[in-house]
Amino acid sequence: MTDVFTTTIVVATIASGIRLATPFLLAALGEAIGQRSGVLNLGVDGVMLLGAFAAYFVVLDTENVWLGVVAGITIGICMGVLYAVITVFLHAEQGVSGIGIYLFGLGMSDLLFQKLVGTPLPIDQFSEWSVPYLSDVPVIGVMLFQHSPMVYIAFLLVPVVAFILNRTTFGLNVRAVGESPESADSLGVSVRRVRFCTIIAGNALAGLAGAALAIELGIFQQNLTNAMGFIAIALVYFGAWRAPGVMAGALVFGMVGAIVLQAKTLGLIPRSASDIAAMAPAIITILALVVVANRFRQPAALTKPYFRGD
Amino acid sequence: MTHSDSQQVDSALPASSIETSLEKAPMLEMCGITKRFPGVLANDNVSFDVRAGEVHTLLGENGAGKSTLMKILYGLYQPDEGELRLHGKPLRLRSPLDAISHRIGMIHQHFMLVPTLTVAENVALGLPSQRGPLTDLKRVSRRVNELSDLYGLQVDPAAFVWQLAVGERQRVEIIKALYRDVQLLVLDEPTAVLTPQEVDDFFTILHEMKRDGRGLIFISHKLQEVMDLSDRVTVLRHGRVEATTTPAQTTRNDLAALMVGRQLDSATRGNRASLTSETPEVFSVNGLRVAGDRGVDALKSIDLQVHAGEILGIAGVSGNGQRELAEAVTGLRPILAGDVLVDGSAITGMTPKKIREAGLSFVPEERMRDGAIGDFSVADNMVLHNHTESQFSSAGFLDFAAIKTHCSKLVQDFNVKTPDLDTPTKNLSGGNIQKLIMARELASNPRVLIAAQPTRGVDIGAAEYIHQRLLEQRDSGTAIMVISEDLDEVMALADRIAVICEGEIMGVLDAGNATREQIGLMMAGVSDAANSQRA
Amino acid sequence: MFKKSLVSFFAAALCSAASMSASAEALKVAIVAPSASNDLAFTQSIVDGVNALKEEFEIEMAITDGTFIVDDAAAAIRDYAKQGFDVVLAHGSQYGGSLKEIAPDFPDTAFAWGTSADTFGLPNVSAYEAMSNEGGYVMGVMAGKMTKSGVIGVVGPIEVGDAKLYVDGFVEGAKAANGDATVNVNYIGSFGDVALAAEAGRSHIANGADVMTGTAQMVVGAIGAARSKDVAWFGTQANQTKLGKKVVVASQVYKWEVILRDIFNDAKNGVLGGKLHKVDLANGGLTIEFNDKYSLDAGARKAGEEAMAAIMDGSLKLSH
Repeated sequence: MTDVFTTTIVVATIASGIRLATPFLLAALGEAIGQRSGVLNLGVDGVMLLGAFAAYFVVLDTENVWLGVVAGITIGICMGVLYAVITVFLHAEQGVSGIGIYLFGLGMSDLLFQKLVGTPLPIDQFSEWSVPYLSDVPVIGVMLFQHSPMVYIAFLLVPVVAFILNRTTFGLNVRAVGESPESADSLGVSVRRVRFCTIIAGNALAGLAGAALAIELGIFQQNLTNAMGFIAIALVYFGAWRAPGVMAGALVFGMVGAIVLQAKTLGLIPRSASDIAAMAPAIITILALVVVANRFRQPAALTKPYFRGD
Repeated sequence: MTHSDSQQVDSALPASSIETSLEKAPMLEMCGITKRFPGVLANDNVSFDVRAGEVHTLLGENGAGKSTLMKILYGLYQPDEGELRLHGKPLRLRSPLDAISHRIGMIHQHFMLVPTLTVAENVALGLPSQRGPLTDLKRVSRRVNELSDLYGLQVDPAAFVWQLAVGERQRVEIIKALYRDVQLLVLDEPTAVLTPQEVDDFFTILHEMKRDGRGLIFISHKLQEVMDLSDRVTVLRHGRVEATTTPAQTTRNDLAALMVGRQLDSATRGNRASLTSETPEVFSVNGLRVAGDRGVDALKSIDLQVHAGEILGIAGVSGNGQRELAEAVTGLRPILAGDVLVDGSAITGMTPKKIREAGLSFVPEERMRDGAIGDFSVADNMVLHNHTESQFSSAGFLDFAAIKTHCSKLVQDFNVKTPDLDTPTKNLSGGNIQKLIMARELASNPRVLIAAQPTRGVDIGAAEYIHQRLLEQRDSGTAIMVISEDLDEVMALADRIAVICEGEIMGVLDAGNATREQIGLMMAGVSDAANSQRA
Repeated sequence: MFKKSLVSFFAAALCSAASMSASAEALKVAIVAPSASNDLAFTQSIVDGVNALKEEFEIEMAITDGTFIVDDAAAAIRDYAKQGFDVVLAHGSQYGGSLKEIAPDFPDTAFAWGTSADTFGLPNVSAYEAMSNEGGYVMGVMAGKMTKSGVIGVVGPIEVGDAKLYVDGFVEGAKAANGDATVNVNYIGSFGDVALAAEAGRSHIANGADVMTGTAQMVVGAIGAARSKDVAWFGTQANQTKLGKKVVVASQVYKWEVILRDIFNDAKNGVLGGKLHKVDLANGGLTIEFNDKYSLDAGARKAGEEAMAAIMDGSLKLSH
């Protein structure tokens, strides 16, 4: 038992939690941007799957992980245009449209995989990138600064998204449109244009999340994301639609997952409780959600299509 | 998104002439405007103009075409025929952005403010920033403070809008317009949410704006205000201009007649049987405490009594606990403490059904949410509460013949204008829906009637009818509590007036000798006692 | 997935139409399986098994794969039976409940399902299972001999059925070969969570594991972790060499054709079920396929081959 709590194990567990959190964080940041403008996208998981497949396919072909990342983002943007047209221009009901996007992504990514690839072959993975100097710091270095580039990108996006939402005119428009689209419209802010942009950005991040996942794992298979996108949506509520909150949610989810895995590996959780323990991240996230959620209100116009003159 | 006026926004106010003459050429003209919607002619060849430095009032009932005309002026609708001219030049407005760029502003009846943003953010919204893509809230705040000082509009630029009271929110709307340096401002029923004193302050600000040479379009149906404030009045009815006149050339009654299309006899309280110690107290509320939606107490231990054959009016500015009071006594909201009594027996905490059975009827404020189901037929809505009773059903089967007979009588008695009993209720006008609800609630000749905002959004004709029915019901011995934000209504109907402010009853006055000023002070939170000391 | 079963349905309909015109002797075989038919794991093994018998039998084959939703699978099983397929293979232990209800409605159809040992006492249901603990034991022995750190990691899905059998055999073999070795077993609680399986693999590696194995379709994630950290990997259910040419030592491969041959022959002779079939090392239904590119320590391989021989001749009895 003494070696259970060694620094190495603690460090490895925290690093593991950060890695687990990364795809959730990318997807949830994208979803948060969309929801702040009043658009719920339940299709995140489908877009992640398409992004994951696109990235996998491109890396398989070119052996260049960055081209894979570009492919994932590109697919995300395409799906964003589709979803924006459906929900913003055609005013379709967002819940059902999102589920449609999800089912499309789930089926289409598998179909393309079967037709274009067939047998799953491994692809190049990201190599870890040590941050100069910082990665040499004892304990912290290994924990925080020896990760794949996607981890840094995801966590750097947190302040970036927060800054855009809180300090730019575009962010002000986004917050206004999500809260009171008629007020924004009355001041000449184009509700359509703002929502179009946030949907594209959100889906691009979902595509990136999928690409990050596929390239991190070095493989694709049917339903690779295993409903990660839906967890990401829950994390947006957990994070009260704010980038740092979303990050906290993703980290809680990832850390609990990593701690449970570590405890199982070390035999601290009896085999008989193994399946129950596997639910811990979801249960703890839901509990936290219940505690946190009542303290914040969702954007007032969330899921509501905007019609001028009503 | 270029914005040619960004310079102007930050420049000082135009040093325009202080005195403007009414004879000078109009600033804005709307010529021969026609706008059709499927099945409706909303504006029929309407011509309307505004001069610099005047208040031109648009008067008309709901559906007369006022808001359509203003939406055209703000670029939200395109006219089918006719044209707009600004300073004599033709003007095409495709969106609010076009209107804003021509310095046309609008203060909507429902404020166009984002509650989760600060005052400064609300002001800055939609305008280009001096710092490019970054917001420049410091600069905006400075300018907001300048404007506050200049016009006497006290507002903290850093406050969140949701923290502000209704009157403050309106000041934010005005600052938004001033910040954009509007030359023409549309004010859509701006006084509906203000206390009489706040209205006075508001009018002072409007006079300031007139002096700057701005043109103001004032929309209202409070005739006294219209007479007080306007330079000219245009009356719309059924989408057409009935008349354009000046307050000097007309009277309140003439304006009302133009609006409705006939002479009106305004409902008066009439003589009620005087209260004696024997007059039974039918409905009372003792120490009632109720939580609001945000968890704070919406009612802080209030006491009220209503006698048989009496109307108690509850006056107050919107959002001071009126909605919670109505919901609590009708069983729709949990009661934290205190008692509600009908004929001396407690109905506290009972289900709405039990409360109805105890003899209490309810005309709710949100008639399409709590009062009737839009997709249900007129007949279905009329028996919504009692279709399970033996007169309308047996063994779980509805007796359609009995329901039809009952409803036909009610529709006739209450003058509900509907093609037939099977028409979906949502197809009726607001006034007729309200009459339908009144018919249902009064059919049982209740001991107590709670009527919340009984004529809000109802045309004058129907309002007059509803007032008449309330008075008749009072005379037949029902104890009635009328909750209204329309002070004129309360003063016209009530025998006694209780004024509510921040969940407390500031005092109860006898309607016979209460003055608007006295009630206005109480609505603003000055208690009756302090009030009388000052007097 | 709904779309997919629909596509498969039409494919099946086409196949059956085609079979009308083909020889009346053709044996019509349908497979319903939970994951993709080229998953390099459980589902692919049964498809490969049927394909391997196409030389011996004239077979019309139809597949509905990816039916991880049991209701979808049940619908497909019933459809195939209705269409007159001779043999319907319900390839997933989670399909038992549905099969028990469906089989009595189609007394002329031969059903087989696995992995399980339960025929429900029905005359037209046979069950098949793989003694995957045998191959697990053999690879466990090799892993025990190979490890330098003395730590071995195992990634499992949920502790049931074939996965449990394999893992138990592997642990038993590793312990037999190296009593000092620590074998960390991590059932992640999911058959589908590739990312979690990858982190489970990394967690083993962080704890010092230098040899790993795992079972079920989500282990591709753990293999990815093994690949990136250059840790030896033992595969099962299919030859996983393709997933890690540098790290995969050997894989236990299921040769279902060994028992499918019996099932098909029985079906032709009118025996539709009631039997329990097993693949094991002795009957050739399980084999260990080595990765030629991996330079396996000769001693470890020898120990493995000795264990295999002992199991096959019955001199070594495993605890299951």
